[in-house]
Amino acid sequence: MNYSRFISKQSSRRKPSCISELRRALENGSPSLVWLASGMPSPEKFPFREMTVTLEGGKQLTLSKEALSTGLQYGPSQGYPLLRKQLKRMVEQWHSPPRWAESDLLVTVGNQDGVSKALDMLLDPEDFIVVPDPCYSDFLCMLTALAPQIVAVGVDDEGIRPDILKSSLEKAISSGSTGIPKALYLVPNSCNPTGTNMSEERRQEIYAIAQQYDLIILEDDPYFFLQFNEKQLTSFLSMDVDGRVLRFDSFSKVISSGLRIGCVTGAPPLLQGITLHMQASCICPPMLSQVLIHELLTFWGDEGFKKHISDICQFYKDRRDAMIQALETHLNGICEWIVPEGGIFVWLKVLHLNDTSAMLLERAAKGDVVLVPGREFMVDSTKPCPYMRAAYSCATPEEMMKGMENLAKLIQKEIELQSTHK
Amino acid sequence: MCQPAPACTCGSTFFTAHVTMKYSRFLTQVSRNRQPSLIREMTNLLVQASPELVFMAGGLPNAQMFPFQAGSITLKDGRALTIHPKLMMDCLQYSPTPGYPPLVKQLKTLTQQLHSPPRWAEMDLIVTAGSQDGLCKALEMMISPADYIVTQEPCYTGTLSILNPYKPQYLPVCGDQNGMCPEALKAALSKWKPEEVQDAEKDVPKVLYVNPNACNPTGVSLPADRRQEIYKIASDYNLIILEDDPYYFVQFGDRKNFPPSFLSMDVDCRVIRFDSFSKILSSGIRVGYVTGPKPLVERILLHAQVSLLHAPAMSQVLVSELLELWGEEGFFKHTEAVQAFYLEQRNAMMEAAEKHLSDLCEWAVPTGGMFLWLKVPKIHDTWDMILERALTKNVILVPGKAFMCDSSKPSQYMRAAFSIVSPENMDKGCRNLAELIREEMVLQKTVGNSD
Repeated sequence: MNYSRFISKQSSRRKPSCISELRRALENGSPSLVWLASGMPSPEKFPFREMTVTLEGGKQLTLSKEALSTGLQYGPSQGYPLLRKQLKRMVEQWHSPPRWAESDLLVTVGNQDGVSKALDMLLDPEDFIVVPDPCYSDFLCMLTALAPQIVAVGVDDEGIRPDILKSSLEKAISSGSTGIPKALYLVPNSCNPTGTNMSEERRQEIYAIAQQYDLIILEDDPYFFLQFNEKQLTSFLSMDVDGRVLRFDSFSKVISSGLRIGCVTGAPPLLQGITLHMQASCICPPMLSQVLIHELLTFWGDEGFKKHISDICQFYKDRRDAMIQALETHLNGICEWIVPEGGIFVWLKVLHLNDTSAMLLERAAKGDVVLVPGREFMVDSTKPCPYMRAAYSCATPEEMMKGMENLAKLIQKEIELQSTHK
Repeated sequence: MCQPAPACTCGSTFFTAHVTMKYSRFLTQVSRNRQPSLIREMTNLLVQASPELVFMAGGLPNAQMFPFQAGSITLKDGRALTIHPKLMMDCLQYSPTPGYPPLVKQLKTLTQQLHSPPRWAEMDLIVTAGSQDGLCKALEMMISPADYIVTQEPCYTGTLSILNPYKPQYLPVCGDQNGMCPEALKAALSKWKPEEVQDAEKDVPKVLYVNPNACNPTGVSLPADRRQEIYKIASDYNLIILEDDPYYFVQFGDRKNFPPSFLSMDVDCRVIRFDSFSKILSSGIRVGYVTGPKPLVERILLHAQVSLLHAPAMSQVLVSELLELWGEEGFFKHTEAVQAFYLEQRNAMMEAAEKHLSDLCEWAVPTGGMFLWLKVPKIHDTWDMILERALTKNVILVPGKAFMCDSSKPSQYMRAAFSIVSPENMDKGCRNLAELIREEMVLQKTVGNSD
């Protein structure tokens, strides 16, 4: 692939720091080399001496002196080497990417920072980016800022519709713009906000279209580990014969959201711009977080990790079931929904309302239930939207029942309110 | 070439009448475009929510399923920080973008105490993933391709790596053993009359970057009178001052005698200040903070909302608990100990440099931090000497060119860091460096370099 065509002008001007070049000299240096080059602070004066964490089940992990010391000092922008090694092995295991030898992996400050930096790396203002409609709202916020040309593609129960994708791309190309369609963003598993999974056939179709139009595929997959069905769907990375996929993984739903650790996998020419931007901004992903996750994964081994994922899936599956029960109890005939096969969201359509925004933003808190208005997820947020996104991750089954009861009342009131105003 | 500045004769400071800044003039189009992430905003609602509220808006994972339950950190003084289960949840769950609330509160108290910003009520403070991420987002907020940027020269390489992709029009300002020269700053801006540029939005400088204490790479600090002069000039030209101050706590000498920060003299509300814990608590945990005018800090916040979301929560909790345990007294006791350590390192470095380099190099004694900025007057440029030949002499420094806005120009300087090197190795390093320089001088004569 000709990767240079995808790199934004800004990103192409990023250069490695002189100090990182000097560091290469360190690798070849003799043991007598006196290193006066890097401005690392002295760890002698960091006040932390020892750290122990207690895991579920009571097991205690004490960080070795070396591990803690590593966690407290600056590290490589690409990520803590031992964690990177573990993550690479995991990615290879789950996805067997066809071009694995020509791929690399970076640790990011949460997967969303990876996505954000990927956009900075790819998009010049005149370029096109293809997004599903509805789309994850924070991603739309990124686009609001960068203001590229957006190709919004309607979805069905499986996500992006191939026919609309093709016709939209044709339209973009023949628009006479100087920009090119650069990338396609999607959340293939338990899509945020719709909760749908893209089928095998659909994934193949979309990949083929991406090939035809030479697009980078931004595979954002934070709910990969939260799939309730046994069968794992084929990731775009695992069908990536061209090296056009940037895959973003997250530990936020399974290990910790607050530690801010995710990773991105893809072709080195695409990762380079992300690394250099990381070097200039955060310098490196948080080292202590990376060390802790590395220790945990080491302690668990493959078996332990699989067990944990299995426990998590069971947990969220139970919550989903409770949510569906609550919906069926209180919202039949008031809302429509598709039962999610994974993740943490249900995408509800209110049958007799044009738009849910005012109801949710102005009246819902008093009605003791809060959901996100669907309009937030629409590329054109000026149009009315009868949808709402409910997260079932944190509410207990009792709270869900109460919440849906409250929601039903809230909707009824809103319908009455709207008919009064007509 | 920068001339030593004459002694300041301006007497007491004179500032213009109360300024109301128009902040939108400083923003790039991208920054202006930013809108709040509704989901992040709604998650903040949780903090004030009634217990009856069923919150299904945020995509929060269930913290019960996170595998770490509790923890404990032992400090070097023997005391322990206990992370009980509730606190561990704070460490592991999404945190508000402005920062872990108890830490934000503590940092606001500290900032007020140390700087008493004159327009504090109009300012805000947020936690960032290291102070450099704050700086990066601040520059990305204000600099568009080809914009002007006024900066000290030599300049921290991290700042240059943020700026260079914009191909900015650098207005470098040289300095001496007392830091940036106000006269040189005036000269850099002399192309414009203040009244012409005050309100202009395009094709004028709007941002000034400065590293006021133990500057990276020069190791020197700006005295109070220069800061006041620089502030006045920035005010006349309506520049935002980016006060990047990671070595604030590692200035040598009594804390009571620290020169006032730009923040503390900010009567116009034009300073964005970047603070760091990287030199005193830990660099790897990635916690710093930015203080500045609310409208500008808000833009940085919106960028953080859609990128990293927030600085690592566990790191913030640890810093907060530590500050709580230490109290004010304990905190300053610690910073003084760090300061004493770096002072010892500096003294050992000075001894080594004086022993081996006094006839070969010139330098100003660092007044804080960890860097020694060496000039080699008899060498045209240190780049090749270091990148191509230094390894054979078993010593590596950073060539001065790396810190220049225009990296095509030669530099006779080099930066040595004395933070983690032992006195024995400092001696060895300076000895090796002397050999390297002498050989380079011979090489230059042989090759017939002029200058």
